[in-house]
Amino acid sequence: MRTFVVRRLLGAIPLVLGIATIIFFVVNLAPGDPAMRFLNPNMSDAAAEQIRVNLGLDQPIHIRYVRWLGALAQGDLGFSFTRNRPVLAIIGEILPNTLILSFTAIGVAFVMGILLGIVQAVRQYSLLDSVASIVGLFFYSMPSFWLALMMVLLFSLFASVWQWPIQFPPSDIQSVDYVFLGPMEKVQDRLMHLVLPATSLALVLAAGIARYTRGSMLEVIRQDFVRTARAKGLSEPVVIFKHALRNGLIPVITLLGLYLPFLFSGTVFIEFVFSWPGMGKLVVDAIGQRDFPVIMGGTLVFANMVVVGNLVSDLLYAVVDPRIRYD
Amino acid sequence: MRDARVTTSILGVGAVLLMGACGGGESGARPWSLEASLAEAGSGIPFCEEVTARVAEFMSQYEGQMPPSAQYGGAAVVGSIGEIPDGMNGHVSQDYTASQHQNFVNLMTLVAYDADANPTPYLAESWEVSDDNTEITFHIRDDVYWHDGELTDAYDVAYTFERAIDPETGFPNTAYWTHYDQGPDGVQVVDSFTVTFRMRPHADYIDPWRATAIMPEHLLGDVPSATLRQHPYGTVCPVGNGPFIFVQHRQDASWTFQANPAFPQALGGRPYVDRYIYRNINEPTTLLTDLLTGQLSVYIRPTPDQAQAVLDSDAVDLLAYPFRDYILVGWNARRLQLSDKRVRQALTRGTNREEIVDALLQGYGTVANGSVPPFHWAFDPSVGKDAMSYDQDAARALLEAAGWEDSDGDGVRENADGERLSISIKYNEGNDTRQDIAEIMQAQLAEIGVEVAPTVVEWGTLLSQITDPVDRDFDGVVIGWVVEYKLDDTDLFHSSSFSGAYGWSGTMRPDVDRLLEELPLVVDRDEAKPLWAEYQELLVDEQPYTFFYFPDRLDGVSKGLNDVQMDDRGEWVNVKDWWLSPDERR
Repeated sequence: MRTFVVRRLLGAIPLVLGIATIIFFVVNLAPGDPAMRFLNPNMSDAAAEQIRVNLGLDQPIHIRYVRWLGALAQGDLGFSFTRNRPVLAIIGEILPNTLILSFTAIGVAFVMGILLGIVQAVRQYSLLDSVASIVGLFFYSMPSFWLALMMVLLFSLFASVWQWPIQFPPSDIQSVDYVFLGPMEKVQDRLMHLVLPATSLALVLAAGIARYTRGSMLEVIRQDFVRTARAKGLSEPVVIFKHALRNGLIPVITLLGLYLPFLFSGTVFIEFVFSWPGMGKLVVDAIGQRDFPVIMGGTLVFANMVVVGNLVSDLLYAVVDPRIRYD
Repeated sequence: MRDARVTTSILGVGAVLLMGACGGGESGARPWSLEASLAEAGSGIPFCEEVTARVAEFMSQYEGQMPPSAQYGGAAVVGSIGEIPDGMNGHVSQDYTASQHQNFVNLMTLVAYDADANPTPYLAESWEVSDDNTEITFHIRDDVYWHDGELTDAYDVAYTFERAIDPETGFPNTAYWTHYDQGPDGVQVVDSFTVTFRMRPHADYIDPWRATAIMPEHLLGDVPSATLRQHPYGTVCPVGNGPFIFVQHRQDASWTFQANPAFPQALGGRPYVDRYIYRNINEPTTLLTDLLTGQLSVYIRPTPDQAQAVLDSDAVDLLAYPFRDYILVGWNARRLQLSDKRVRQALTRGTNREEIVDALLQGYGTVANGSVPPFHWAFDPSVGKDAMSYDQDAARALLEAAGWEDSDGDGVRENADGERLSISIKYNEGNDTRQDIAEIMQAQLAEIGVEVAPTVVEWGTLLSQITDPVDRDFDGVVIGWVVEYKLDDTDLFHSSSFSGAYGWSGTMRPDVDRLLEELPLVVDRDEAKPLWAEYQELLVDEQPYTFFYFPDRLDGVSKGLNDVQMDDRGEWVNVKDWWLSPDERR
């Protein structure tokens, strides 16, 4: 097992470097100029050129690439062109926000989705199954940013207008007076801010997961070993959750491997709508501003997430399916 | 993300029902206390740890101080799209929001403008100009402290100037200082609070000092100019001397400032609000929701289609005022189709700009016929009003006179060589208003026999295409300019700018050149006014751009936030005088 993990991680290094190299050249060769952000008749051409020099953009691209690689080897991702801080410090501040949102959403989505899928499979063609299918399809086919905007309108604006007992803040991860709150109030404040974005993400994901779980469970519960388990006299919950579910989960775990990296980049819309200071928003902003070091740093993080996501799902296969061994 | 328009119309309905913003919290004034967040700003960075400790030490003398009256207290929260790029580092920034925070929140300028753009004392108590307009001497206040306890003095002023003219800094507003002597004798510190600059006579000699925040020499004096941009001062731990102390910056989320109890009484003393917070919120619908639910005191620049929802609310006011920007369609006169000024005139006269302003901006704007916006003293509303009015017949006549006729009956005009009068109009991706302009022009110009292809281009790419002096890969482009009080179109329309980044039109006229050279040297405004009018008439005739409109600046402001003054100087011009009604404090 350990050798498997080590081998996979080592194998990921050339992969990540390859991705980074391609992105480096695509980003640097694409039209656009970081100094253009200062576009203004008050700026002389000489000043524009000096800004390029100060940003290190006067060097030919291959030199810049070698320098960037050299710095990367020392764990240095360079300085942001617009935020004027080391990229590593920026990511250090931003990444946790994305992780909190993603893991909450993915946790909620899988718990909700799997449970719903099991119920639908066990009660196939019941009224519950039909309703859940329709509602699921509704959320699954809904653009996440639209759902997010509706959440803002309903649970922030209208909740305030109609004076609902509870309303949720539509933006940021904490309120402006966070520093003055006590420890328990701080936790509560963060949770309140998490509700809308996490729900918007989780609903869409859960709908898909429920579909997969339902399909895969339907296949499993018709198999002989499930009939055998029932014939042994095992109770229904044990049959479903112990015998059927473990086998039904295998395709769902593939889904986890796919969703993990998606969540780090796919939260972009959600992060924009809820002004969640996360990685997706950071990198999309950086692309617009031609903030090359931030784009590169963000891309590296995403690439690593893909690798880790796939590794985690591979390891989970072994957990649910004893036939799979990584020796 | 584009769906904001649909959802805001829903918001409009909701806003009517809004019962009032949530207030709450204690209304009594609170004793002053330095926020704990400052101690964490830039921990691990030696520079930041040192300066934040010094700020804490200096400010400790004000701990527990009660504000002078019950008018003080609360937090003013401003929401806007986007970060403050480059933060408080005035050496390397020219971003609008950044300049506003440097000049009015965290730092100070030597002079400030009053509502009529007359210079008034701020950090400089007074100044004299020599009779021949070649020397200006500033007397600096002797009671302004940097937030770490150092006095602000003449050396800081000289230092700020020297950094700005040092080419290695890469200061983006070099044109501010072109008429100042940049040699070794250009600046002289007479004594600790007196500094003299040498210059060539110029109409707007004082203007750069209104736009340039003075920076702390004692903190940044040793930093090499080329690395100033990357210094943690800018975005991690700024130390200003202005009405608000920096206490926290959360990347891509918020900036928190606190009232500066040491701000000179003569300048109004400490600000009324305890805290001022800038929040970066990226989605207009979310911004509007935050404003209407009382999370924000100010929403900077709601979109024109959100104006009604703001107006309908009982809890917020809409401020609308002329600002310093204008929207234009720039024509590339290097193109065969656009080389004749009569064609460019026809494109303007064939477009119903009045209707477009009413439809797209809900009336919050004025049709433009020149590069001088209404706020400016040289603005003349009569220029081009009739000459460029909407008139399809006049436009057709102009095109025919220029030799473009529809000889094959396909609805598009051709010239004698059979070239079609077919152009593209580019606009940047993600800007609905500019897209609408390009598409409406396509429809309206088709009626006079001009084929227009609206073309969307990503913003950074568009800038490269129009500024590249060799390619100039565009026919027409919808874009905007923000102008300064020191108005100078040399880089746009002077013949020498043909190959410069901003010589988009590539039009060249000796009479325009002569006026562009003469205007900056006329110090007396009454003398300059007829010259400006003459220059504007020449632009109308030449039509390097179809000047489109001057949009009104819109801001949504909570009714609980009082004495808010916003005008062409900017949204933050009197932030230190804002005060919160007691039930709006938190």
